[in-house]
Amino acid sequence: MIEQILLIILFLIGFWGIIAKKNIIKKIFALSILNSSVLILYITEGSKIGTNAPIMEEGVKNVVDPVPQALMLTAIVIGVCITALALAIAFRLYRYTHTLDIDKIHRKLHDEPF
Amino acid sequence: MKESKYSKFFIFQIVLSLATVLAVILPIFLSRVPWPDLARNYLEHNGLRDSGARNLVSAIYLGYRAFDTLGETIVLLVAVSGTISIISHSGLSQAKGFGKGEIKKHTNNSISGFRRTELIDVVTGKLGPIVLIFGLYLMLFGHLSPGGGFQGGVVVASGIVFMALGSKTDSSTWLQETGALAKIEAAGFLFIVLASLSGIPGGFGFFGNPLSSSGASPVISIIVLNTIIGLKVGAGLGFMCIAMLGKVE
Repeated sequence: MIEQILLIILFLIGFWGIIAKKNIIKKIFALSILNSSVLILYITEGSKIGTNAPIMEEGVKNVVDPVPQALMLTAIVIGVCITALALAIAFRLYRYTHTLDIDKIHRKLHDEPF
Repeated sequence: MKESKYSKFFIFQIVLSLATVLAVILPIFLSRVPWPDLARNYLEHNGLRDSGARNLVSAIYLGYRAFDTLGETIVLLVAVSGTISIISHSGLSQAKGFGKGEIKKHTNNSISGFRRTELIDVVTGKLGPIVLIFGLYLMLFGHLSPGGGFQGGVVVASGIVFMALGSKTDSSTWLQETGALAKIEAAGFLFIVLASLSGIPGGFGFFGNPLSSSGASPVISIIVLNTIIGLKVGAGLGFMCIAMLGKVE
């Protein structure tokens, strides 16, 4: 129970960072935090039915569910891809506008269209 | 943060959207439905016999659901190429092989001098090869212990970044032929596609394990795929990081 509440708080921190922060780098950090909260939710839920790591040495019984772990492996890689692409786009925006503030970027791109 | 930065309407908007999101995710996060153990029980009894891998996570993502992994590597390939093209079209990266940025090598050392300290020099330069070896270990033993292609690849990429940071010359020009990493990435993808087709002549279907009927242990297929994926992920992420390390004029 307590871990779900902590994960909700983590999720909300990520969401708040995405919508409220002005700096795009901080927005990307927040996206990463939000992503992590979902990953940890799956891992904790999947680990409720067992106690041991899913590595089948002799005599290992009662392992956790390996399916969400394999799924989250995919999700982690996708998260890395999203972060890298977002950082590259932020870098390019910075090159054009010389600022990381989302409002200033918006104003500059509005004033001088390409 | 100062209160004056946000208007009242903006704060109202944020609170409203946070409340909406909370209302949506609360039932998801707090659900009391017991986790189904059908898949777990099946894998616990048959996973080792079917795939030969002691690490059941490896058995899933390279055996039962290898098709998923193919899609994942495609996503990674697209993300790496997109990042590289965005960065090199911005025209700032000085690393070799990034198109427009290939200009003067040692113009101004102020930024790289600012970046480099003795600590970085000692730690990263010496630690880089050890991290690379650890990455190879994770790749090759991914079927026996925690690890696997993706994790090993990420560790190899951090080893590449370490060695780039600890190099005596500029970090982005440390690797003389950065294009080699791109070639490894592309070749890795080709080998994954070939491995996925290798079961078809034997009648096992797409991503079927060609060794599952012969006497050889089926785990060899998982080891090969782990190694290919590890090299591909390591080369791709290392390539991307070196592009991002490019010196800013």
